Amino acid sequence: MGMKKNRWQRRHLVEAFMQLLMRLSLVVVAGSLGLILWTIIVRGLPALTWDMITQSPKGGFYMGKGGGVLNAILGSLYLAGGGTLLALIFSLPIALYLKTYLGDSKWGRYVRLSLDVLWGIPSIVYGAFGFTLMLAIGLRASLLAGIIVLALVELPIMTRAMDEVIRRMPADLEQAALALGSTRFEVALRVITRQMLPGIVTAVLLAFGRGIGDAASVLFTAGYTDRIPTSLMRPTASLPLAVFFQLGTPYPEVQQRGYASALLLTIIVLLVSFGSRWISGYLNKYTIK
Amino acid sequence: MKTKWNILFAVLMITALFATACGTPSTPAPAQPPAATQAPAATEAPTAAPTKDTLSGNISVSGAFALYPMMTVWAEEFQKLHPNVQFDVQGGGAGKGMTDTIAGAVDIGMISRAIKPEEEAQGVFWVSVTKDAVFPVVSVKNPVAADLIAKGITKEMFNKIFITGEIKTWGEVVGKPEIKDEIHVYTRSDSAGAADTWAQYCGGKAQADILTTAIGVNGEPALVDTVIKDPLGIGFSNLNSVFDSNSGKLVDGALVPPIDANENGKADSDEYYQTKADAVAAVSSGKYPSPPSRFENLATKGKPTGLTLAFIQWILTDGQQYLDAAGYVPLTPDQQTASLAKLK
Amino acid sequence: MNELNPSAITIESEGRDDRPSVASQRSRRDRSARRVFSVITLLPIFLIVVITLALVARSWPILSAYPLKDLILGNIWKPDDKLFGFWPFIMGTFWVTIVGVLLAVPPCILVAIYLTEYAHSLTRSTAKPILDLLAAIPPVVYGVWGLLAIVPFVDQVLAPFSERWLNNIPLFTVNQPTGFGILAGGIVLAVMIAPLIVSVLYEIFTTVPNDLRHASLAVGATRWQTIRSVVLPQVMPGIVAAVVLGASRALGETIAVLMVVGNVAKVPTSIFDAAYPLPALIANNYGDMMSIPLYDAALLCAALVLLVVILIFNILSTLVLQRMLERKWA
Repeated sequence: MGMKKNRWQRRHLVEAFMQLLMRLSLVVVAGSLGLILWTIIVRGLPALTWDMITQSPKGGFYMGKGGGVLNAILGSLYLAGGGTLLALIFSLPIALYLKTYLGDSKWGRYVRLSLDVLWGIPSIVYGAFGFTLMLAIGLRASLLAGIIVLALVELPIMTRAMDEVIRRMPADLEQAALALGSTRFEVALRVITRQMLPGIVTAVLLAFGRGIGDAASVLFTAGYTDRIPTSLMRPTASLPLAVFFQLGTPYPEVQQRGYASALLLTIIVLLVSFGSRWISGYLNKYTIK
Repeated sequence: MKTKWNILFAVLMITALFATACGTPSTPAPAQPPAATQAPAATEAPTAAPTKDTLSGNISVSGAFALYPMMTVWAEEFQKLHPNVQFDVQGGGAGKGMTDTIAGAVDIGMISRAIKPEEEAQGVFWVSVTKDAVFPVVSVKNPVAADLIAKGITKEMFNKIFITGEIKTWGEVVGKPEIKDEIHVYTRSDSAGAADTWAQYCGGKAQADILTTAIGVNGEPALVDTVIKDPLGIGFSNLNSVFDSNSGKLVDGALVPPIDANENGKADSDEYYQTKADAVAAVSSGKYPSPPSRFENLATKGKPTGLTLAFIQWILTDGQQYLDAAGYVPLTPDQQTASLAKLK
Repeated sequence: MNELNPSAITIESEGRDDRPSVASQRSRRDRSARRVFSVITLLPIFLIVVITLALVARSWPILSAYPLKDLILGNIWKPDDKLFGFWPFIMGTFWVTIVGVLLAVPPCILVAIYLTEYAHSLTRSTAKPILDLLAAIPPVVYGVWGLLAIVPFVDQVLAPFSERWLNNIPLFTVNQPTGFGILAGGIVLAVMIAPLIVSVLYEIFTTVPNDLRHASLAVGATRWQTIRSVVLPQVMPGIVAAVVLGASRALGETIAVLMVVGNVAKVPTSIFDAAYPLPALIANNYGDMMSIPLYDAALLCAALVLLVVILIFNILSTLVLQRMLERKWA
């Protein structure tokens, strides 16, 4: 009897202990987000001035003179915006084709596997490949080159995210449309796209957020300059690289601005993340449940 | 029918969106000569005779981040004198500057290291425009600080500290074997011209030759900061990280141990620098050895002409006045003459 | 291309395709759209091949000049002396990744279990956005955080602790008095890969049918016992795959790691040592050295090594995960 009771107690003790560990782990994981945000805000906020977001660097900016990182902010928005659009042109057809024609077939599996593999390729490798590609087609470090490489980085993220939501679409809708005599392509275009709009928007914004924060891929491909790009062929600064370079200077005030730039980047990324949540929630109202 | 329009619309939308993305960048363009919106059209700098105030055109520069901040200052000042000159300065590394120069994609490459033979073989012309110098740094709390100031450190000792690792204690450095405090050698963890230069002074060839047991710190400010906090540490740094740019004095807590360049066993008064002015004077006069002082170079494809030539000549003359504030050492009159003569 | 079609059709459609008049125009459009789409759909597979081939081609000068063994196992990296040994960088990559994964995996498994088996739907719906945000934070911001928070933490808390209590254990000796090093890199990496691992594990855990859980609980097992003896054995391959996936993500992380890891080209002996991972090598040197052909090839060769390892890791883990998740879709 006593032994049985002991065992009973022990397993419940283990149960309680494991639950405690799990809660603790959750606190650690969630807490690290808090810690990151706290660190960036505390160190970045003091140097975050109006000039930072409204001006490009003046001569001597990297020695502590006036100016801001408008060039990098706009550069990043152009890069990520262009990259996202370019990726969308390819990823929407891929996601739709996967759903309407390939489904869970052998080829569907190959394509999904290759997308997952592409997702896993580090952006520094995309950067190196992008640079090789640039040499091959005679393109210099420029906004366009950066956009192309970012599109490569974003393509698998966007496509897989779309694929996941499209997959979850109730089969009845598609079948109903087919039964009514629609061709598969029509189904893809009308029913799936419309029904999955919230998911597609989320996927696009997810990819955009990833693109805007990526440093390693644009390091060799987009160049870096204080001037706001005036055409696709001009080099451009980007926010992640602006953070990186400012931290490398020996001037404390410039490093401060580096922290402020990191804060700016974080704010943009968080806005995109919240934005996508909100938009998809809003659009969800207009889909058939 | 409707489907057709839908497809058409979708295609149009996507094209339009992409076109906007391509188009937007060009809208906020400041008034610029139309040529500037084309691809690096800058290559063909107008070869109008460089007489004063008639200078116009576009100069494109690319290369080392070490020179990038300085170049933006030069560009701004030059533009004040010649409002019709447009600059296009981009960073990306010395190698990128070199590749762009060789390919003719830019007018000037900023090279923070020595030009390699395989690069010169491809028709690269270069001139030195400024000097900078790397200094050894220790903490003022160093246990043998007084001896270091009195005796200095010879090149051979630096070699044994930074490259071979034969000297392991501070006692050995100052000839007091009873002092057993271990030396903590620090180096840069990022690829740095300063580390290359310092390694070359210590008898190595490049950054990779510095003791692999040395502790890497990312970035110069962090390196100096780390050394200051570690009484047993030794590291190296450029001029503008060890001297405060406002006061011209040594950064609090830092000590630049004298380099006993003439190896007379003691630090002469002109080997020990407590202010930036002293250090600059020594580097400039050549009293401070080279390396660890080094020239920073501008590269062009073949000898520069026209606007590019005018700009480089300006850098070598009037442009020198902006160097000091930025932590670089201006060229001496002799070096200035030499560089100008090379351009002829 | 043609192979794509037959197996692709999941829902009966031949009948419709044969129908001549009414929908002939529409189905013709359907076919041409399918053709265009199928070409685009092959793009991902094509891309993997092209990327690999391009890197092989660009690193060919060095691959043909040195035996592969000397490159991979070579200990000395002195490009000026034409010595290109990747071993210190490979080991650097390995150590940082291992530390990152070891730190990330246990809490991630616990969190995933908690979210699937215990948590209220409210907790779950709060945890999701937190993980999403964690995944959304850019690498460079992680790097800044590492620089400002983790490096000092390692320096002032973990290193003294280890020096005091663990200094006799080989892997924990503190050889250097800054926080820059493998541990700092590993901690930053652990946080970076945590959202990925948790979300993959969550997906995996939800594939286990509830009946199994109920059966176990009904015979009086506690929840943890159920998890340990029913759920975990079912998903073990998935857990391994998730870990490998996390590792492959960690292998390639560049900017964040490079900012805190110390970057000294030597084979590390302790988690407090500095290391120099391959991605950092490429990012640090490529811009400066791309004008020197052999150096350029060496750095692209580093990218190739990284790519090959990651491709293997990724393909293996993805295959396992796809198989496991299929159960759920089926």
